[in-house]
Amino acid sequence: MMNPVRIHLLLNHSPIIGTIIALGIFVVSLIGNRDELKQASLALFALIALVAIPAFMSGYAAQNAMKDNPDVSMALIQAHQGAALLAFISLELTGFVSLLGLWRFSRTVKNPWMTRPARVNLIALLVLAAATVGLMAITGTTGGDIRHPEIVSGPEPTSVIAAWGARITPVFQFVVIDYSMWVWPILEDLHFLGLILLLGTTGALNLRVLGFLKQLPVAPFHRFIPWGIAGLIVNIITGFLFFMGMPGFYVPNIVFQIKMLAIILAGGNLLFFYCTSAFRTLEDLGPGEDAPRFAKFIAFSSIFLWIAVIVLGRYIPFGEVT
Amino acid sequence: MAVPLIFKTIEESGLSTWIRDSPSIFAYWFILSLHAIGMGLLVGASVVIDLRILGVARDLPMAPLKGLYKVIWTGFWIQLASGILLLIAYPTKAFTNPDFYIKLTLIGVGVAVMQMIWKRVFSDSDLSDSTMMMKGKTLATWSLVLWAGAVTAGRLLAYTYNFLKYDFRG
Repeated sequence: MMNPVRIHLLLNHSPIIGTIIALGIFVVSLIGNRDELKQASLALFALIALVAIPAFMSGYAAQNAMKDNPDVSMALIQAHQGAALLAFISLELTGFVSLLGLWRFSRTVKNPWMTRPARVNLIALLVLAAATVGLMAITGTTGGDIRHPEIVSGPEPTSVIAAWGARITPVFQFVVIDYSMWVWPILEDLHFLGLILLLGTTGALNLRVLGFLKQLPVAPFHRFIPWGIAGLIVNIITGFLFFMGMPGFYVPNIVFQIKMLAIILAGGNLLFFYCTSAFRTLEDLGPGEDAPRFAKFIAFSSIFLWIAVIVLGRYIPFGEVT
Repeated sequence: MAVPLIFKTIEESGLSTWIRDSPSIFAYWFILSLHAIGMGLLVGASVVIDLRILGVARDLPMAPLKGLYKVIWTGFWIQLASGILLLIAYPTKAFTNPDFYIKLTLIGVGVAVMQMIWKRVFSDSDLSDSTMMMKGKTLATWSLVLWAGAVTAGRLLAYTYNFLKYDFRG
């Protein structure tokens, strides 16, 4: 069995290096006005936002594994956690904006970046991505401080932003758990409504690709996808709040861990197939026309993965570690 | 008012005890998962039809969308079967909670509205898309409200019950 600290070390470099690389590609694509590069950097941002979910969560497992170690400063861990929280939120926002930008890109064949909403989208993305890179840098350095006493001046954290983030962390637990007994049920309700939007809209498109609603052309279905993305956003936010409310319950739970893995696969599927130019190969399918075998495979795996996510979610209490 | 004794009899039956207390992964959590999947099919397909009637994905021809009613009915029967099994597991918990009756009412009206949409919008294949949208607009809006209400009432069942079992106030 892999040590939680090792899993955290394995995962935690990708959001830091990844956002720097994606921002680099994005800036180059803007300067050179290269659409395919823009698309690649947006896809990279959204993918990193997905991978960052287990990277962030595994930090709690690593903290738990190190909490009785006298050589480790809790103050430094909390500073790192605070910075990671801010960086994670910023990265998820970057991912959402990227996903919407990609969706626009995938449905407009002519240069989509000339229209005003797309430009707003790009500027928002540039600002968010730059902020994320800055916060990731703080997360990386404060994380390094924990196990490298030779580079810190003392056991106290030095970054103001990290200290600020560390003060916010307990606020989540207060709001989700202690503030009112109704916060959790309301979040659960929103999580289910988000599930319905996500499964309903992507499911309808997938059923058409599989040949179920064959009399319909494929292209107009694409208009439903932003509703599915909205459901995904609601569920990532509410799911994140559940986690922040009871990290100790979720982190060691194997069912929850598999659910996160399934979300990355299903989210990656949504990202690459319906929000990149891969969709354009399907766009020409008119009424009664059969989709290519590969597209059917993707559509089937999308339905299978989202249903697996639902089932795994329902089984989380079954995986509780006592 | 005393809780009817029949709930106790049901709770003591073999099937009820098995669903509730069996450590098997095919007992309680499996049925609950089926209930979530059925909800995704029933409500998810309804919402897609409602959104289309209300003008989302306007270029999508309306008439063939009635194929989604097969998904709606598949979901409905999964919900009925898994719902009855959950009721057998926890009859007192459900029937002593006013929220349960609210949920059933909302589902009943929600299904009826989907049937009315079928009759008014989809049964006449000669209608143009714009006529179909006009005829279904009010019903589709109600459908969205009712389904959101039914899901909310269902979700709240886990947090509002008075009795977990016949002999156990929760």
